[in-house]
Amino acid sequence: MPKTMAKELSSEQVIEKPSEAIKNDALTRTIDHFKREWQIYLMLLPTIIWFVVFLYKPMYGLQIAFKDYSIFKGVANSPWVGFEHFETLFTNDQFLRAVQNTIEISALNLLFGFPAPIILALMFNEILHASYKRTAQTIVYLPHFISSVIIAGIVITAFSPSAGIVNTVMGWLGLDPIYFLTQPEWFRPIFVGTGIWQEAGFGSIVFLAAIAGVNPSLYESAVVDGANRWQMMWRITIPSIMPTILIMLIIRIGNIMEVSFELVILLYQPSTYSTADVVNTWVYRQGLQSGQYDLAAAAGLFNAVVAFVLVIVANTLSRRLSRTSLW
Amino acid sequence: MAGVTLSRIVKAYGSLEVVHGIDLDVKEREFVVLVGPSGCGKSTTLRMIAGLEEITGGELSIDGRYVNRVAPKDRDVAMVFQNYALYPHLNVAENMAFGLRIRRTPKAEIKKAIAETAEILGLTEYLHRRPADLSGGQRQRVAMGRAIVRHPKVFLFDEPLSNLDAKLRTQMRAEIKRLHNRLNATSIYVTHDQVEAMTLADRIVVMNDGIIEQIGAPMELFNNPANTFVAGFLGSPPMNQMKGQLTENGAKIGGAEIKVDGMVGNHIGRDVIVGVRPEHAVLKAGKDTSVLPIDLDLVEPLGSEALLHAHHGEDNMVFKAETKGDIGHLSGVSEVHVPASLVKIFDAESGRALDLGA
Ligand SMILES: Nc1ncnc2c1ncn2[C@@H]1O[C@H](COP(=O)(O)OP(=O)(O)O)[C@@H](O)[C@H]1O
Ligand SMILES: [Mg+2]
Repeated sequence: MPKTMAKELSSEQVIEKPSEAIKNDALTRTIDHFKREWQIYLMLLPTIIWFVVFLYKPMYGLQIAFKDYSIFKGVANSPWVGFEHFETLFTNDQFLRAVQNTIEISALNLLFGFPAPIILALMFNEILHASYKRTAQTIVYLPHFISSVIIAGIVITAFSPSAGIVNTVMGWLGLDPIYFLTQPEWFRPIFVGTGIWQEAGFGSIVFLAAIAGVNPSLYESAVVDGANRWQMMWRITIPSIMPTILIMLIIRIGNIMEVSFELVILLYQPSTYSTADVVNTWVYRQGLQSGQYDLAAAAGLFNAVVAFVLVIVANTLSRRLSRTSLW
Repeated sequence: MAGVTLSRIVKAYGSLEVVHGIDLDVKEREFVVLVGPSGCGKSTTLRMIAGLEEITGGELSIDGRYVNRVAPKDRDVAMVFQNYALYPHLNVAENMAFGLRIRRTPKAEIKKAIAETAEILGLTEYLHRRPADLSGGQRQRVAMGRAIVRHPKVFLFDEPLSNLDAKLRTQMRAEIKRLHNRLNATSIYVTHDQVEAMTLADRIVVMNDGIIEQIGAPMELFNNPANTFVAGFLGSPPMNQMKGQLTENGAKIGGAEIKVDGMVGNHIGRDVIVGVRPEHAVLKAGKDTSVLPIDLDLVEPLGSEALLHAHHGEDNMVFKAETKGDIGHLSGVSEVHVPASLVKIFDAESGRALDLGA
């Protein structure tokens, strides 16, 4: 009813002032739209507030990446220094090492950590016994709900040279104990392995949901055509969940610079910095521990820009190659 | 090519029995249609033949071989599903090749089979399209193509046309018929649509509630339904059924009495259902007709003919009448004339057709 009234109103105005009438028409339509859908916008509001408060407002402080920041002068009054902090960063060996570590650890994470939940989901999908399946799923989901501090505690205990189960078992086999967590070459396998243990199970939920969405008659048709379970997995399940896999991959690539910061902090120590120190931990040490807020902000900004570019590239590639994209 | 034999086939889900021991003998090259209301066990029966459902009891043989425990792939059947079951990530050619590739058929042979089948189905131009880029009718054709390329012993169809709109369904129905005439393959076709059953079948199997009500050629079932269920299922609109009693001269329906062919004598006084097809009753008295007074409720024009909705006592009925371009003359109808030779009599209690030896 209000729609037709708006139309009549505007057609009257068209006779007098055409351009304004069109504007008014668009305006009334927008108002009508809000009147009709306001509940949906209301529901959106908390999310927008969260974004503004926790993500957009702090961006104001980002300007210190280009300033000689002093707490006493404040963000606004500190003098501009241009790209000086970035020049400092790229001549800083520790920062460059952190960038390289970030990329290398992320690459390992991607290589081993990304397929793990997919493989888990495919394996769960092959379990026919319902209660066995539920139990197995619950067990692998569990570590996700345990705090990283406790996870790190478990890992540190397990790999401890004196009481750890790993060294104990190695002792039975007649091997010398290894001080795993103090040795740079052991940090990455332990870190990546811990990440998989913690998140692979929970990550498999997304893929299980995708598998559940596959039309069952595709499998029935394949059964009649003579496919075995292995062939059905390769020729139906995996292609069917490929869009989900690609979306998850894009998100993952976007997060490449975000190596699980707290787990690194909890597991590394000065003796393993050479392989373990990543951009975020370096920022944390420079910023919060040494008080170089401006330099840390510059490093954080660099991290964010790289991540942003990565997401766009991954999304574009995916859209070109597989007609699947985040936006 | 091969026949399919079901003997005393039973299907139960847990303690719930949904197919109650059915017998059916599908001959080589025959096109058999299982028809019945939704939920009567047609799909279940078809899926047992395909091997997608375990057979709870009875024996199934294909081509003379007992196959109850044989895996679907070794039964040499192909199935066409209602929702087409096309692989969305494969194009038309790859979809059709799927079964052959699984069976490791040589590449050249696959290519030849696909080219031939695509030719038959008019899909040659679409071989490189994905299912998403096809119309409903084309998808249905691909689904059939996927079955055809395999040259199976038996084709199974589960409501293959029910996702199509009415016009396309009529068109595809004719196409399936032509295809069967050409390939001459043993086919078992499930539908709830009696028109599809009538037009396609060599023989129709009418199912209801997990049992077979009647098996026979389409016109045989139409002319001589074995019971009130079949009478009420086939034909559009289906046969009118009126409560009545047999008398010396025929059947009494409410206040009216109509003549019935055959020897009613042995059954005088018996409660019966009197069946008259909508198109068999006429508006003018003819040879050997009797009058059935009706109260007209509604006239529905269909074009060249109209449906007269009416009642007589408690029984509702529908008759067909010619319009001759106008329905005005139909609004005053107060009686129809029923030819004695076309009246069907069913036992009121069992619903079975009475054999009056006519
Ligand atoms: N997996 C199942 N578990 C329990 N009951 C089922 C199952 N599949 C079908 N049924 C029941 O079996 C009966 C026959 O189903 P179906 O063969 O699909 O009917 P239709 O004749 O419509 O194809 C229905 O009552 C249905 O509810
Ligand atoms: Mg069905």
